[in-house]
Amino acid sequence: MSIVTVQLGQCGNQIGFEVFDALFNDSHCPGGLCSKRENEAYQASCKERFFSEEENGVPVARAVLVDMERKVISQTLSKAARSGRWKYGQHSCFCQKQGSGNNWAYGYSVHGPRHKESIMNLIQKEVEKCDSLSGFFIIMSMAGGTGSGLGAFVTQNLQDQYSSALKMNHIIWPYGTGEVIVQNYNSILTLSHLYRSSDALLVHENDAVHKICAKLMNIKQISFCDINQVLAHQLGSVFQPTYSREGSFHYRRNPLGDLMENLVPHPEFKMLGVRNIPQMSENSLAYSTFTWAGLLKHLRQMLISNAKMEEGIDWQVRPPLSGLPPLGKMSVNKETHFNTSIANLVILRGKDVHSADVGHHRALKRVLCAVRMFSPVICQCQSPKFILLKKGKIKTLVLVAKRNPCTSM
Amino acid sequence: MGRRRRRQPDPADAARALPEAIAALSRTLPAAPSPEIFRRAKFDRPEAAPALWRLLFHVLSPLSADSASVSFTLEAQVRWVKSVLHSQGYPRLALVQLQDDGSQGGRELLLALAWLLARGPLPERLLTQSHVRLGDEMPVCECEALASPGPPAPRVEAEGSVDIRHLQWLMGKLQLRWRNLMAGQQEQCALLGKNPWQRIFCSTRLSWNLSGLQLLLLCGTCPPADLPAPQTQIHSYTRGCHSDRSLGHLSVTETELLRDPEGGRQLLQRLETENARLEAALEWRHRELVFWRWMDTVLDTCPLEASPPTFLPRIPEPGAGAAGLPVRELQALQEELQALQEELRKAVEARRAAWQAAVGGHGPEWRAARRALQVAVAQDLAALQWAWEQGKGQARPHGPRRLVRTEARVPGRLGLWATEATEALRAREACLEAMLHQLQGQCRQELARLVGVRPGLIWVPPPAR
Repeated sequence: MSIVTVQLGQCGNQIGFEVFDALFNDSHCPGGLCSKRENEAYQASCKERFFSEEENGVPVARAVLVDMERKVISQTLSKAARSGRWKYGQHSCFCQKQGSGNNWAYGYSVHGPRHKESIMNLIQKEVEKCDSLSGFFIIMSMAGGTGSGLGAFVTQNLQDQYSSALKMNHIIWPYGTGEVIVQNYNSILTLSHLYRSSDALLVHENDAVHKICAKLMNIKQISFCDINQVLAHQLGSVFQPTYSREGSFHYRRNPLGDLMENLVPHPEFKMLGVRNIPQMSENSLAYSTFTWAGLLKHLRQMLISNAKMEEGIDWQVRPPLSGLPPLGKMSVNKETHFNTSIANLVILRGKDVHSADVGHHRALKRVLCAVRMFSPVICQCQSPKFILLKKGKIKTLVLVAKRNPCTSM
Repeated sequence: MGRRRRRQPDPADAARALPEAIAALSRTLPAAPSPEIFRRAKFDRPEAAPALWRLLFHVLSPLSADSASVSFTLEAQVRWVKSVLHSQGYPRLALVQLQDDGSQGGRELLLALAWLLARGPLPERLLTQSHVRLGDEMPVCECEALASPGPPAPRVEAEGSVDIRHLQWLMGKLQLRWRNLMAGQQEQCALLGKNPWQRIFCSTRLSWNLSGLQLLLLCGTCPPADLPAPQTQIHSYTRGCHSDRSLGHLSVTETELLRDPEGGRQLLQRLETENARLEAALEWRHRELVFWRWMDTVLDTCPLEASPPTFLPRIPEPGAGAAGLPVRELQALQEELQALQEELRKAVEARRAAWQAAVGGHGPEWRAARRALQVAVAQDLAALQWAWEQGKGQARPHGPRRLVRTEARVPGRLGLWATEATEALRAREACLEAMLHQLQGQCRQELARLVGVRPGLIWVPPPAR
């Protein structure tokens, strides 16, 4: 099944390019730990999801690029074409000249209705190219005008037109000390609209990713390109083909369906986060060894202490025991920062994945509200770059459904 | 040449006839016990009862329950069998009063089985359900699905209050699973029409974690969807390959049979078991009479029962102390209910007598009204008859049909065009959607009415989808 990506605004388009690049490079990287047949199956599955075939054999990304300025889109198109290995469709982009001026209302009420026909036509053409549609993946930021306003409008229209397709919005939470003055207003307006029309909101915070770049990747001058690459790595780990734990014969067909079913069945809790471990620069990779047990332990603690990366985890945070009073009535002294999440999904990628034991994390079951197991997923091993955890039976790990949206602005 | 001896009826034959008849029955039915169990059941031996409970469970539950990964305990099976038999109108009360742990009542179970066998062609119906299908089939109507009782709804122990958010969670999960299933089915349909030999890895297992769904309070469970191995436009590519000229091409199953020897062997095994069951069914039909004579003797050994006309819920024995209090209350309620039913019966009789008297007294007025009523009813019947005859021209499709791609102009003897079948299905879908909208409207009206009842509350309706 295929996923159609809609890239909105400057942020959305830049991230989108990095995502497709990362996906393509991962599926076509030489070597890896699998047989040729498995490699081919992996490639074919990844290709079917994100790329379509064109006459001269160069895969074309299943994406629609929308922006109110020309500059970013043309940069994105040329970067993709330059690599020669994949590209965007020539007629899959829509741009205007004047921009949105960081104004949510301008994006939502002016640009939206004015250009609704053209944008929805583009999306329809992409959808028709798919044999079967898994859903939409919409990349946008919340601070600007196009991504937030037009993004909310487009999502609403997708809800009306393709009510049976799943929609996941990938939203970028702006820097706390961001450049855009009205980013708070833009964010609130976007979130409130998206909560109604989208199925899941996958949130990435600029601050968190910035810290990852600084501390883990050891990048001195952090540019948006670096941040986008980290983001793309995390997203790729989620969307690349996976097996299920029970039957590792065929790849699972419906990536968005699996995610939604396991994480966002409840209509009120839609916000998701990603935690990825280990995250490091390529240079350090050669000097590190990992075990599944160690990784899982770190990841679990990252989850319950609400840490976004594997450095600086607060190991003091423990899940409250059943003997203690319920969470709402904690005494002032014992201010626990225990992160309550409703559902979690673990994706594991790497060598000896079957030996990874997620069993001893059952302790979390008591605390989280009444969630049972999801279908476990273990990913097939490819490049060791993507190591995520995705499994059922236990809570913790990669994707987390938060209880309270907008906890910090 | 010796003189051909006339065959005397061998007394040993008569003795063997009954076990052979029962053995044929066992081979036909799924999960049936040996003839020895039947014999023990006649004498109400305890070891026979569990096996017969399980037999009844498998006979009464539709096919999907067999392949479900969830296994039901004997107690759950017993309860379900009792409820299904009651809903089908089984008259004997003694069966209902048997213990839930399934340890006794072999004779009653035999009678229940005989009742089921006598009602309709049970072995044939079961065989049709588990028939091995070789063609690509398309279900044309859903009569069978509607007629069979759903698979058992597992008991949910309600411990105190039910968490509404948990329910919402489960509902959402069910809805998403249905959407995924629909998407998978659509993908399968789309791929069936693709170009041949395009390598698309569309095999998947939509694994349905039924233990998760067990907590749902719905009756139906979602059936597993198993998409077969790579599908290409096999119908056009294998033209002329089939030995049966009227079909002309291979189906997906048959192609897989040729490509994959292991799968072929399994298919062969399944066909062989089905053949064995069919032969057993034939044998059973020949030897039925012996079985029924034996069942007469079983019935004779049962004590007569004076069954009350109503079915009252079974109250467990009252215990001592606080635990027994609700039970005693239930007993009291039961007695009250019986008394009320007596009163009601008397009142109904009195009313009926009064009405009869009134009717007789009215005279010509009433008779005219009655005549008008009869005329109206006759007209309605005539209209229905006419409508039926009009519709009889279009053959109403039933049951699954094999998909055959053909160049012929006219469908064969039993065939119909896929377009007609899809038209019929679309009409049915439109009907059902209209019904759904109507029911939703009713629900909304009810909600609106409830909203008006309590002015202090603020109701936030769910977002319109």
